[in-house]
Amino acid sequence: MSDQNIIELKDVEKRFGSFVAVSDLTLSLKQGEFFSLLGPSGCGKTTALRIIAGFQDHEKGKITIDGVPMKDIPANKRPTNMVFQSYAIFPHLTVFNNVAFGLRKSRLSKAELDQRVNEALDMVELTGMGGRKADELSGGQRQRVALARALVMQPKVLLLDEPLSALDKNLREAMQLELRRLQQSIGITFVMVTHDQYEAMTMSDRIGVMFEGKLMQVDRPEVLYAQPCNREVAAFIGGMNFVPAELIKEDGDQLQIKAAGFGTLNIDVNPNVRERGSALLIGVRPEQLEIAATKPEGYDSTIEGTIANVAFYGESVHYYVEVEGLTDVVSVAVPNYFHTVDYKSGDKVWLGLQNSSIIDLGKG
Amino acid sequence: MTRFRRYLPGLPAYAFAYLVFLYTPVLLLPVFSFNDGTIVAFPLKGLTLKWYAQLGAQETLIRALFNSLIVGGIAALASTSLGLFAARAYVRYRFPAKEMSEGLVMLPLVIPGIIVASSMLIMFVSIGLKPSLTAVILGHTFLALPFAVSIMKSAFDEFDQSLEEAAYDLGETIIGTFRRVTLPIVSPGIIASLLVTFTVSFDEFVLAFFLSGNQPTLPVYIWSQIRFPAKLPNTLALGSILLLASILLLVVAEYFRRRTSKTSI
Ligand SMILES: Nc1ncnc2c1ncn2[C@@H]1O[C@H](COP(=O)(O)OP(=O)(O)OP(=O)(O)O)[C@@H](O)[C@H]1O
Ligand SMILES: [Mg+2]
Repeated sequence: MSDQNIIELKDVEKRFGSFVAVSDLTLSLKQGEFFSLLGPSGCGKTTALRIIAGFQDHEKGKITIDGVPMKDIPANKRPTNMVFQSYAIFPHLTVFNNVAFGLRKSRLSKAELDQRVNEALDMVELTGMGGRKADELSGGQRQRVALARALVMQPKVLLLDEPLSALDKNLREAMQLELRRLQQSIGITFVMVTHDQYEAMTMSDRIGVMFEGKLMQVDRPEVLYAQPCNREVAAFIGGMNFVPAELIKEDGDQLQIKAAGFGTLNIDVNPNVRERGSALLIGVRPEQLEIAATKPEGYDSTIEGTIANVAFYGESVHYYVEVEGLTDVVSVAVPNYFHTVDYKSGDKVWLGLQNSSIIDLGKG
Repeated sequence: MTRFRRYLPGLPAYAFAYLVFLYTPVLLLPVFSFNDGTIVAFPLKGLTLKWYAQLGAQETLIRALFNSLIVGGIAALASTSLGLFAARAYVRYRFPAKEMSEGLVMLPLVIPGIIVASSMLIMFVSIGLKPSLTAVILGHTFLALPFAVSIMKSAFDEFDQSLEEAAYDLGETIIGTFRRVTLPIVSPGIIASLLVTFTVSFDEFVLAFFLSGNQPTLPVYIWSQIRFPAKLPNTLALGSILLLASILLLVVAEYFRRRTSKTSI
């Protein structure tokens, strides 16, 4: 990744009639970055991607790719290529001719064209499959053809609209790693749209979380997980226990608060929070809570509760604990080290918590 | 519930009688075309191929056949091209008065032919277009358009729009995209439409009768010959050939129509 910005979006807005599909979209992507647009269905991810590709016009704002303003440049002249959600493999052409489709316009010699196409096929591990017909391919292979067909054009930016959503779980996870490896080896900027938080987190350098047409937060995956800017982002990425609290004192980068059930706590200010009032919301990730039969030592705060429910996930066990003073049950995730489920509903337990695990989520 | 599934006892017999009634006349046509005699009645006088052999020598008949082929060919090309673009627009885009426009295009299917024929005659004459093959071609294009539009619409229904976008995204122009992606993918639909619209025109009588003037198409010619008993066996022979050809044509058309829904996954 270099420091140079390859794409810049400034205040981009798109309306369908009176419905605002994308608004105030401002974003700079670095050369060689793997960026994901993450958000729930209908939040405007595809629309944003199609605006960058040039398939969708936009009312307001400005798009620059590699320093060139994209206004008035149609999709077929932009230095971007797209991998479609349906893959859009041309059904009447072989794999080779699918991949060669875009190159036919450039005046390459037959030998050069063959070489470029074969290189692209090698890259996506479809070596020797050029002669196959489109309808002789599996879902994973179709996905690779779509990828090769776009990459062979050597775009400055590759746009991917939910590229893995049509694959089954195992293949999807394998492709996540492979796509990431491919992106790093060729160094092209990838912009991927997904509604799958794990996909976004495992693959991306940075993630933009989108809700209702607005970009809420743009950050590295681990920052997004540790310091989400508000309740919506926190709830969308990973599990989270939300606890209402009251602000007692703000002191530099420290907050003194009084949280329901937990009492008075000192926590770090979350720099991503934009609004803070006297009513606060805090969050605790389920895996950051300790659960014990007796009062655990060495924690900033401990609290008593009763197990309401147990859910076995395989790699972890989730306990749902009722705590006095809290309306919602507290969820606690314990890694499954010893293949045991230690507590059952009705058991009295203690929960332990460090102040550093508590996330300030701003206005409650 | 099973009680309701049992059919009335007479139903199979009824269905059988119905089919016999429907198809006997059609089957009689080839049977009598081989009859060695000019009177169309049983018993047959003996088998002969002479009625078929004589066909080639009848100049007016051959001319009528050519007229029909020309009219059918041009009307099929014209209605299929119009139908191709109309269907793409109907399937892809939303625009004002779309429903009304679709309804209007389909209207020829339900207006009585005699009304279309007489109003077209009046209109053509009033704009100075004499009854001629050109007039018949225009009329048949109009009649065949609903068939072309509905066949092409089903071809485009199955067509994933992102295929066109993908081609455009890969640097192809709009026209190039149409040529390299849209056309090949809907081509089975185009062939089916050409065959069906050709058949529609080839069979058509009323419009051709009104508009053909002194250049009769084949159905008009056959009709004019029916009045001469001596010519009747020739007409039967010709009719049998046409029957066979239309059946072949429709089978081929159906094959291509089914191909459209398969190729464009
Ligand atoms: N051509 C259009 N005309 C009208 N509304 C549209 C059009 N395209 C998209 N929308 C609306 O804009 C909103 C955003 O659509 P978009 O396809 O960008 O969502 P998305 O985030 O990609 O969702 P998904 O995850 O379901 O694909 C949706 O509410 C959708 O109904
Ligand atoms: Mg989408």
